[in-house]
Amino acid sequence: MSKIDRRTLVKGSFGAMMAGAAFSRAAFAQSSEPILLGVSGPLTGPNAQYGTQWKQGFDLALDEIQAAGGISGRKLAYQFEDSQSDPRQSVAIAQKFLSDPRIVMELGDFSSPASMAASPIYQRGGLVQFGFTNSHPDFTKGGDFMWSTSVSQADEQPLLASYAVKRLGLKKLAVLHLNTDWGRTSRDYFVKAAKEYGAEIAVTEGYIAEERDFRSTLVRVRDANPDGLILISYYSDGALIARQARQVGLKQVICAASSVYSPKFLELGGEAVEDVHVGTRYFPEDPRPEVQKFIAGFKSKYNGLEPDAFNAYAYDAMNMAAAVVKIGGTDRKAIRDAFAKVKDVPSVIFGTATFDVATRRVKGAMNAELVVRKGQFALWDGKPT
Amino acid sequence: MSSWLDYTINGLIVGNVYALVAVGLALIFGVSRLINFAQGSIYLVGAYIGWVAVVQLHTPLPLTIIVVAAVAAIVGLIIERFGLRPLQNSVRIAPLLATIGISFVLDQLVMLTFSPNPRALPSQLPDVRFQVGGGTIGLLDLLIAGVGLSSALLLFVFLRYTKLGWAVRATAQDRDAAMQMGVDVNRVNQTVFGIASALGGVSGMLVGMYYNQIDTAMSLQATLKGVVAEVVGGAGNVPGAVIGSLLLGLVESYGVAVLGTSYRNLFAFLLLVVVLVLRPNGLFVSARQAPPEPLTGTFIAPSRPVHIPRWALLVAVAGFLILPLFPVSFYVLQTLINAWLLGMLALSLTLVAGTMGQVSLGHAALLAIGAYTSALLSLILAVPVGLAIIGGGLMSAALGTLLISPSFRLRGHYVSIATLAIGEIVALVILNWESVTRGPIGISGIPPLSLFGYDLISPTSIYWFSLAVMVVLALLQGRLLASHLGRSFRAIRDDDTAARAYGLSLNRYKSLAFIFGGFAAGISGGIAAHLYSYINHETFNTQQSILALTVVILGGLGNVVGAILGAVALVGLPEVFRIAAEYRILIYGIVLLLLVRFRPQGLLGTI
Repeated sequence: MSKIDRRTLVKGSFGAMMAGAAFSRAAFAQSSEPILLGVSGPLTGPNAQYGTQWKQGFDLALDEIQAAGGISGRKLAYQFEDSQSDPRQSVAIAQKFLSDPRIVMELGDFSSPASMAASPIYQRGGLVQFGFTNSHPDFTKGGDFMWSTSVSQADEQPLLASYAVKRLGLKKLAVLHLNTDWGRTSRDYFVKAAKEYGAEIAVTEGYIAEERDFRSTLVRVRDANPDGLILISYYSDGALIARQARQVGLKQVICAASSVYSPKFLELGGEAVEDVHVGTRYFPEDPRPEVQKFIAGFKSKYNGLEPDAFNAYAYDAMNMAAAVVKIGGTDRKAIRDAFAKVKDVPSVIFGTATFDVATRRVKGAMNAELVVRKGQFALWDGKPT
Repeated sequence: MSSWLDYTINGLIVGNVYALVAVGLALIFGVSRLINFAQGSIYLVGAYIGWVAVVQLHTPLPLTIIVVAAVAAIVGLIIERFGLRPLQNSVRIAPLLATIGISFVLDQLVMLTFSPNPRALPSQLPDVRFQVGGGTIGLLDLLIAGVGLSSALLLFVFLRYTKLGWAVRATAQDRDAAMQMGVDVNRVNQTVFGIASALGGVSGMLVGMYYNQIDTAMSLQATLKGVVAEVVGGAGNVPGAVIGSLLLGLVESYGVAVLGTSYRNLFAFLLLVVVLVLRPNGLFVSARQAPPEPLTGTFIAPSRPVHIPRWALLVAVAGFLILPLFPVSFYVLQTLINAWLLGMLALSLTLVAGTMGQVSLGHAALLAIGAYTSALLSLILAVPVGLAIIGGGLMSAALGTLLISPSFRLRGHYVSIATLAIGEIVALVILNWESVTRGPIGISGIPPLSLFGYDLISPTSIYWFSLAVMVVLALLQGRLLASHLGRSFRAIRDDDTAARAYGLSLNRYKSLAFIFGGFAAGISGGIAAHLYSYINHETFNTQQSILALTVVILGGLGNVVGAILGAVALVGLPEVFRIAAEYRILIYGIVLLLLVRFRPQGLLGTI
């Protein structure tokens, strides 16, 4: 009797152990399955470089998130789909993400046509489209599933105008801008703010993204006789304009938007970008721990490579996504609602980021006034150049 | 006034830069009658080889030039031997398409090897500058000018005074006669490709040094400007290419002077259209030269089209119609919606390029016209979406035909180049005509597709709608091709001299083809605008024009079913290769090359 009892006992406990093991394995399987974000962006085609930079920023953020225990013990991961920043491909990717139940939210796309073509699909399908390079003023108007940490140009350009007009004392300005939705919006905000600060806009010139030769444009600028050049450019075209401006003999002060902030700007511009003033959202010597952690982490992960603005946007976006998923869990609607709830997420670009629920954007980008000295970005010491 | 001197100097400097590409293009065109769309990619390869030499191997300038020239020449020889020589006896369009495929492959290989980030390529010349007018000229400017002019001069001497040069010219004049005279045509081709590629590589390196910047996106722009310069100068004419380049640089520079930077490329492409209309063979073609294009069916492969029985088509259409009733993902439906939209564009192009023989490289412009018309009609005038889309189709038909009409008197390659220019002009007008098109900001908040007051927003309903529209357009086009009108179109394509002698008015028939084609393309653009809800000047770009051409060649020129099959394949393939991430365009390029190699008349053959 006792023997049987014991056997039953053993059997029973063995069964329980097995069941327990099976149960914990199921639980383990569930928690080891990473929480998946969809990324739609360019990996090939003319904008491929930005997709590559996104990946660097994402991967660094994910390393840190994983090391800190992930999201309630689960890993966070992303699935990067190459859209070439082409609207036809980004809409197909949107349907792909929508129909994949593992995807909890989407990040991207890079350009406005590709992002905004996909917006109606994300909105109707109820999946958050989290754009972090989408400064087009209408992007977040696509619906309540569109959120963005892209620095609003309404925010950034007055800071640059203040740097140029109030701090550097430039009174007559020539504005050169990339003729895209971003460049155009930025130019309009800049011109408005600069005029309010009392500057005169002598000439504005828009150029297309593929442009390499600016000599004739610069003759127009010279003839307008400004005392400062404002570049609303990316780093590659910004460096080209600065070089050619110096080559054709323009000696005016050059002031550039934060989008040129990249080690590549110094490499491509060489001596010509010496003394260029840049209003930027972050800089390496910023003592804030978020910035220092980002830069140190980036350099050690990528063999000493210096991060730039696009790396920082992607890094911030991934951290923001993690903060949102922590609150919202894996339910797509709950994630949308979580965007309104996240508060003061540590951020390289914003210091701490909190969404303005009305615009679904983040306000209050950091501002640092930099100048290129001896081939390095440095804090501006207030001395005229 | 002194500013005009500066504009002139700047124009000449940038014209120099264009000349470096244009000379290589001219040389190849002179011998092979081929516009080498891979020339820009060789230029790209040269720039990166230069970077390796300068930054990693620290070679001195003369050695850098030799290394770059040698490597680029080898790449050119490989292209000639394995990419183009096997296509010698196939249709004229095959090598053209092959060069596009080769450029995909080369660009992707460079991107995968060096990453897409731009790099600095330091100049190896001291930065000595001379004051000229209000600006300066540097040593590198002079070197570029020297290389451009001396290579043109050397080539001229080579073609005129050496035995191999005579062989080259003989081959250019009449390939078969040259072969009968004992000229080794393959050796001639090899030589020419080697020289042109060496030049292309060196020019990429020099331009990289000039801007202190190289990146993997520089090849397409270089090809475009090079082609414009070459055609302006007179295709195949080496000194003409140099003069065409300088002229292009000047026109651009003066254009900036008069209207501003944003109009720069507009002037370049207008120059091209004007030259082509006034002097269809370019500015510098001697009267004694043979006509640059054969008179009949330039691009059409004589082939027996695959006959698909009516019941099979019905089964296929029925299958696609009931597809959404099965549990397929919306991703598949969306991909097919893209295929139907591309299918409509392909129907349009296969009619004008295949049936009519007018190969258009600017078809995206028709999409853009339809899209903007439909978007603005529905947004501003509150026209119901269904009608607005038809309005887009009508506007594309009317405006598109009007814009393309200057190309009606051109032949062969020149039609493609002119339409390419017209496509670019439309994009630039959209960018600059802000009061109507809202310029770079684009149009957002376009109402969704709707029909009789019922919104079509689910992928299933959009799928059925676009499939139905495409099928109706395809049936109409099938009917058209079987009619007397269709036969007249093909008669003009096959022998326009004979057709004219028979009393057919070429312009009228070409207009009819473009009106019908423009309508289909405009409808496609209109639907896309309402599907995306946001469009701007970048939504419909040159890449889509090239894609559309690839589709119709893949399907078989003039072949209605082929166009749709091609659209499904070319929308589908990149999606299938999606798992290959960065490698997918490379794989796509290779597939394209294999197709051109083994089935140049297209999957279903020409009708």
